[in-house]
Amino acid sequence: MPGTILENLSGRKLSILVAILLVSQLGCFFVGLIAPKPATSQAIIATTCLDNHTAAKNMNHWVGLDCQRIDLMKRQVEAADDIVLVVQMPLYDLDFSRWQQNLVGILQFDLIYHSGLNLEEFIVELTIDARLAYSNKAERGGRTPWTYYAHSEEKRYMDCDIDVKTVRDPDGYPYNCSMVPLFELGSLYHDYYLLNLRLPYDEKLMKNVNLQTVQDVYLHMIHMNGGFTRIWVALKTFFFPVLIGIMIWFWRRVHMLSRTPALLEYMLISLGGTLLFLDLPLEYLTLWFNMPYMLLLSDIRQGIFYAMLLSFWLVFAGEHMLIQDNGEKNSIKLYWKHLSTIVIGCLSLLVFDLCERGIQLVNPFYSIWVTPIGTNLALSFIILAGISASMYFIFLCYMIWRVFKNISIKRSVLPTMSQARRLHYEGIIYRFNFLMLATVVCAAVTVVSFILSQVAEGQNKWDENMEIELSSALHTGVYGMWNFFFFFFFFFSHFYGMWNVYICAMLMLYAPSHKQWPAEPICAEGEEVEFSRLPTDPSPNEISSLTSFASKASIE
Amino acid sequence: MGMSESAESAAAYPNLANALLIPSRRQQFVRHLIKIIRKTAQNWSNLDTNPGCRETAFIYAITSAAVTHAIARACSEGSIDTCNCETHYKGRPQVTGNAAVAGVRDFEWGGCSDNIGFGFAVSREFVDTGERGKTIREKMNLHNNEAGRWHVQAQMRQECKCHGMSGSCTVKTCWMRLPPFRVIGDLLKDRFDGASHITAASSGHHRNSNNAHRNRPPKSPKSNNLNGNSIHSKRDNRRKHKYGFQLKPFNPEHKPPGAKDLVYYEMSPGFCEKNPKLGIQGTHGRLCNDTSMGVDGCDIMCCGRGYRTQEVVVFERCNCTFHWCCEVKCDVCRTKKTIHTCV
Repeated sequence: MPGTILENLSGRKLSILVAILLVSQLGCFFVGLIAPKPATSQAIIATTCLDNHTAAKNMNHWVGLDCQRIDLMKRQVEAADDIVLVVQMPLYDLDFSRWQQNLVGILQFDLIYHSGLNLEEFIVELTIDARLAYSNKAERGGRTPWTYYAHSEEKRYMDCDIDVKTVRDPDGYPYNCSMVPLFELGSLYHDYYLLNLRLPYDEKLMKNVNLQTVQDVYLHMIHMNGGFTRIWVALKTFFFPVLIGIMIWFWRRVHMLSRTPALLEYMLISLGGTLLFLDLPLEYLTLWFNMPYMLLLSDIRQGIFYAMLLSFWLVFAGEHMLIQDNGEKNSIKLYWKHLSTIVIGCLSLLVFDLCERGIQLVNPFYSIWVTPIGTNLALSFIILAGISASMYFIFLCYMIWRVFKNISIKRSVLPTMSQARRLHYEGIIYRFNFLMLATVVCAAVTVVSFILSQVAEGQNKWDENMEIELSSALHTGVYGMWNFFFFFFFFFSHFYGMWNVYICAMLMLYAPSHKQWPAEPICAEGEEVEFSRLPTDPSPNEISSLTSFASKASIE
Repeated sequence: MGMSESAESAAAYPNLANALLIPSRRQQFVRHLIKIIRKTAQNWSNLDTNPGCRETAFIYAITSAAVTHAIARACSEGSIDTCNCETHYKGRPQVTGNAAVAGVRDFEWGGCSDNIGFGFAVSREFVDTGERGKTIREKMNLHNNEAGRWHVQAQMRQECKCHGMSGSCTVKTCWMRLPPFRVIGDLLKDRFDGASHITAASSGHHRNSNNAHRNRPPKSPKSNNLNGNSIHSKRDNRRKHKYGFQLKPFNPEHKPPGAKDLVYYEMSPGFCEKNPKLGIQGTHGRLCNDTSMGVDGCDIMCCGRGYRTQEVVVFERCNCTFHWCCEVKCDVCRTKKTIHTCV
């Protein structure tokens, strides 16, 4: 049987390819092991300072750490407007590096319970006058003066509670309060940042009316780690040219064929395009330019890639359905129903992202979750995206189920088919099974890594004292895996066309008549085959069962 | 005795720590800090000569807890610049040369690690100094120091923030939130009430009698003190004690003391009568709680002398309202209260 020899050959080449990709995959994982975890937080206690509230009207008035310090617990001040909470980032004599990419600030209030106060559980509506300034290292040493960056008066909600019964002497005991997200900076362009917070009190405007005694205010600032960014960008820099090369090679091969590219090939090349956009190491630019829109841009880049990936899976499953409609070439229009779920889902997520991170470009203190309208809006966008996602998965699962059902039916009728037709179907089944396996493995690894990284991060990390940072390795590993996944797809769909024995059989299908099919298929190398097209003229013997099934399937 | 009062005075240390913790002179100031905390925690005796009783156990525990807490807090204030920014990341080849430059580079590479780890390490480094773990008293001290630190660590609460794609949890960063010291003080007070009596004879098996890790200066606080000896971390739970000894209970039927338990091997001196030599005030005229079974209960505190019960009218703050920032308005309420006083 010539088929077995060729199949062995293709199997060997395939296994070499898979082995190379697996080794590179492991390489990606180990590269991740030398990186620190993606982001670190640092807790900073805000310095409480006394400041004249009339001076605060000037937006270029900055209170630094050299201010007149006061102790909130000693009640040395009369008016809330005279108190400024000062946070200088980062702590010590350190300065930010542009490799650290972005900055997230979260406030934590330590409120104190007074005996005689009956509040055991309450929600504080905080009104925070927040101002952010930056400074840089001066060329001749020292720092440049603080320069205005952003200002906003924001509302935030905070839940606090205390269990008075379990505490021996609750007077002066701290409340347990939820954290308060304050700001997100999309770029870390400057060396130093200064935060001036004021908590104005106004009974008429209901500003901070239910705030209790504040003992301490912590700012937890989260920044990306420079080491992680370096490793990440290095990986991108590596993958970007490789991907370009593979895409050019793939597309040239496709065009060398004497037919127009198939839908799946279009999908594959556009998926490669979105991956290329994702791999583009734009982060280098942040080292020279102030790009606060990087967070939004990376969201959009990932979003486009995911949208394309999901569409690709749909088309991939659809093209293996083994149903022959009237010989027409499949086009993307056939999938409009399925694809619209992706479009709706992604658009609603994009709108949500624009509402949150888009507005944060103007006001880094903005949060859509604060106002009830904003919360409802955000929730409705997310729910809409969730509904579309579940619709999509129902469609996808249904299609895959149909493919498997067709495959099993085809398998049962395979022995009754002519050799050429049998090889054709075996080829489709083989390709589908193989690529399906690869996809499922990739998806499973992604999900498992995601869960692992959540668990690793969610654990009491101080207790664990892990020597290595698993979360980075998981990130880089998954990132590398998806890159390799597409390399694999490109290679596989190409090599498959080159070497697979079933192609040879397929070529025979283009022959005008049944009777001219040779007994032994002749292999022509470098030819790609479309599986979706089969002659529909019913041949009395072997296809009868097949066509009856196909028509049944299309009725479904 | 007034143990809860001393806990509070120890809790009032942050300002003290602020005043003391000046960069680069850590060792000196930690020692000073320890001394002051112990002085405020005990007003009845000289620490070095006092017996190995449960009051001593409490003082040791709260001292090491307070040092841990104070250092961690001072790190967040930026008052010590040696906090874990330079040594936290070991997987990377160390940049030799200027330490400050290396620190800055490491901050860029992997950020600063949790302050509590640093506080813990400093506390081990300095509070445990001199306790070689050979005599029963030294073992008791080491155990109680460790128990104090354990309580700080056990009260750390983890909080996380998702900041991945569109704010989802594809990237999540967590940190440990430092508990207010009041919480730790109260917990240690509970441990004080239920402290384990250990037998003085049983020094038990001594695995590392010459455990010299504290005698040499540690290369990095974390590698020596945190990774090497974190006895209470999950994976090390099998090992009962970092110093390689297991304390035996006085009553063999009781369980051996756990890592969080305070231990003592001597009975407390009588606090009932005034003893100027030991600085004991006596309990005559002290208020007691007739429902409590602990040391503040009338049975124990009054030493069997009995107590007087009176009904008194007290004026208390009530119906308070608070105006941020600095104004508390309260009514004064008249309530009748039953108080008990030791004879």
